[in-house]
Amino acid sequence: MGSQIRFPLTINLLGLTLVLASMVSGCGASGSSSQAISPGASGTTLAVAGSSATTVRFNPQILRNFVDNVVVPSNNQFAQRADVLSGAIAAFTKAPNAQTLKNAQSAWVKARAAWEQTECFGFGPAESLGYDGSLDTWPINETDLKALIKSSDKLTAASVEKLKETEKGFHVMEYLLFGTDKSRQAKDLTPRELELLPLLGADFAQNANRLADAWSKGVEGKPAYRTVMATAGSSGNAAYPTVQAGAAQIIEGMLGSLGEVADEKIGKALEKKDSKLAESRFSFNTLTDIKHNVMGSQNAYIGTFADAKATSLGISSYVAQVNPALDQKIKQQFEAALTALDKVPEPFEKSISDPKATASIKAAQEAVNTLQNTLEKDVKPLLKSV
Amino acid sequence: MNPQFRLSTRQFPKVAILFAIAAIIAIGLAPLLTHRIDLQTQDLLAGGDTTVVNRTSLAFSQPAPNLTDKEVKLHKEGDRGFGDTFVTAPAPVNAGLGPMFNNSSCTACHIHDGRGMPTKGSLLVRVSLPPSQSNLAGQLTAANSGNNLHQSSLFESQAEASVSLGNAPPVPGLGTQLQDQAIYGLKPKATVEINWHEKTAVYEDGTPYQLRSPLIDIILPNGKPLPPGILTSARVPPPVFGHGLLEAIPEGDILALADPQDKNNDGISGKPNRVWDVRQKKLVLGRFGLKANNPNLFQQNAAAYVNDMGVTNPLFPEKNDTSEIDLKTLNAVTFYTQTLSVPGRTLINDPTTQKGEQLFTQANCAACHIASIKTGKHPVKAVANQSIYPYTDLLLHNMGEGLADGRPDFEASGSEWRTAPLWGLGLTQTVLPYSGYLHDGRARTLEEAILWHGGEAERSKEIFRTMAKTDRTALVQFLNSL
Repeated sequence: MGSQIRFPLTINLLGLTLVLASMVSGCGASGSSSQAISPGASGTTLAVAGSSATTVRFNPQILRNFVDNVVVPSNNQFAQRADVLSGAIAAFTKAPNAQTLKNAQSAWVKARAAWEQTECFGFGPAESLGYDGSLDTWPINETDLKALIKSSDKLTAASVEKLKETEKGFHVMEYLLFGTDKSRQAKDLTPRELELLPLLGADFAQNANRLADAWSKGVEGKPAYRTVMATAGSSGNAAYPTVQAGAAQIIEGMLGSLGEVADEKIGKALEKKDSKLAESRFSFNTLTDIKHNVMGSQNAYIGTFADAKATSLGISSYVAQVNPALDQKIKQQFEAALTALDKVPEPFEKSISDPKATASIKAAQEAVNTLQNTLEKDVKPLLKSV
Repeated sequence: MNPQFRLSTRQFPKVAILFAIAAIIAIGLAPLLTHRIDLQTQDLLAGGDTTVVNRTSLAFSQPAPNLTDKEVKLHKEGDRGFGDTFVTAPAPVNAGLGPMFNNSSCTACHIHDGRGMPTKGSLLVRVSLPPSQSNLAGQLTAANSGNNLHQSSLFESQAEASVSLGNAPPVPGLGTQLQDQAIYGLKPKATVEINWHEKTAVYEDGTPYQLRSPLIDIILPNGKPLPPGILTSARVPPPVFGHGLLEAIPEGDILALADPQDKNNDGISGKPNRVWDVRQKKLVLGRFGLKANNPNLFQQNAAAYVNDMGVTNPLFPEKNDTSEIDLKTLNAVTFYTQTLSVPGRTLINDPTTQKGEQLFTQANCAACHIASIKTGKHPVKAVANQSIYPYTDLLLHNMGEGLADGRPDFEASGSEWRTAPLWGLGLTQTVLPYSGYLHDGRARTLEEAILWHGGEAERSKEIFRTMAKTDRTALVQFLNSL
């Protein structure tokens, strides 16, 4: 990756030529729709409200930084915590007691925090190679799971690998570790459940590690997916033929995740006032999930990862150069969303149907929506013409 | 040239340079001037007013930008339905999976509203007995399983939406689709294993290429292979965006493109499929599905619910007329599939892309992959009266023995397939890396997909195979710009 990816001069020239051509023919591009989707014609020049036109170059290093400082370390942290969870489950099922159960539950919560932060870049191999489904399908198939536990079917690594996605992953482990209302004690688990759990933990850790490898090293004979995003705009990159597409991918991932938070994770539960629609209802962890989704988008925006010491270079850096006030506004809206979520009384699963908590939940939803709107209306147009 | 125009040798270099500059500008401007209209309409607005320029993994998942606020709400409701994972009843949420199924949510197969992979859960196999001998229309077996005695005696445990004109009779005990998963305690109809057969061929310039075709091993619950003689057809899920627009193309305009007898002698026929409309209880034009075997999105979605997930619905209900999802959900999901935007194109200013487009036309690809067409009336205003660029005629064409599944579907023969829309094609690997092309996902690259074309497309395929490498690259870059 020695050479810098620059916007080809020809594209800018073509853009310029196009403008000239419009003037010559006397029918310049009119109508907002054609201007809004003008592809790279404006080159790197951006008109900023309140100031004269500014020329800001989008540094493609932002894309490389996104994969290497955010995506890869986030996935690696998740894989490492999945290993810890698998180990804690094995220790618990070998010697079930209050302490070992507590350790396993806490390992689950930590793995969950890491996973939810990866949600805004859950594209690419996470979906194609089926990891997302195996790790985190909701709801669980309680009926089939109970039947399996009740049966005397042989439980092996191979049989667990073949289970339906609704019979494995985060929420099945959550169901077995926490019970349906977080009241589970070590003695409550049946021998069959104790037999199944470590197999689920190992299957989970294996998928988490494969996902991390798919980004950093490449799996199943495929190249590391980090390269696909990092080389956006270079010739031969069919997935991201332009730098714009790479930059847009970061923003779209954030919008997708924030939209899911506002519309589904909060919205649907609030609309139906039904705790059964809360995603991590067995562990009362839904609100924590949501906060980590927002934090994941924050990482993607700033271009850094919680524990990373590297200087951050992200979409934020670009926005700050073009429009510093907008960058500040977005950073504040991230903080505001997290603060509003902090004000929702725990457990979220009970607050959903508690009239006294409704205002705070709505305020949190509103704060996430506000952030989403800013990204959609103010940031996306900037990135269309980088 | 003016014969009086003379250049002195002294003036020559200066004038030549000026001339050269003028020529470069002229050459540069000419295509831009002639192409300018295209840039704003054809090239960018692939889906008319429903177009969104989004070249990311979520490119197929955007609501059309011309929906009203109320419609956006309905679209979002449909989006949730499309994403709902079904589980075995009884369950507090999303009960109704199975008893037999291929997968448990719409999105699990149509990942990010795009294709699926040729792997378990995504790839499905249709089966039927060899066609009966007598005439088709007289042999209409059923409208749906709910009132089909023949079917219901075979499937006590599951409703299956199966309509046939007698040329694809259900296989006793298997029906017309192999659900290779089942809820706990039941055995799936079959296990399906895919192996790939590789063969090598060469471009005219001597460059070798590999093509792979699937070898499908089907094992029945009794451990025996599927008896020989039963017709099978493997499919991967196609993308679902832009379908409202395809639904809104006036029937007459599609029929006008048809030339089943090839009367114009261009080697391209184009045949409409006539399929059973369950609600109207009559034969109508087929538009959706890889053999255009579904008439509209409501029926397409309802059939997918019941056949792919085992979820009964108001069109294909339980025997007692109840269903596992209600009409509101089915309508919302149908609306969702009608109102997903079409992605706008990319790299359209690139000369290689533009050259590729010319080559595409010259190779006669556009005879079936018709670039532009207009939509007409439609209950969903957003998709009505739009100029669109889907690159399909929605008609059936003989694609040759290499691609033939040998399984007829209504009027589609075993070697006929519906022209696949090409819009959004260049986003395939962005939305779902490593996914394949063609009906069973066999083609790993666009080159392979082209090289599989046979039958009516044999000549176009040969033009591609014998092109110079730079031309092949340009043509593929054009496809990737879609």
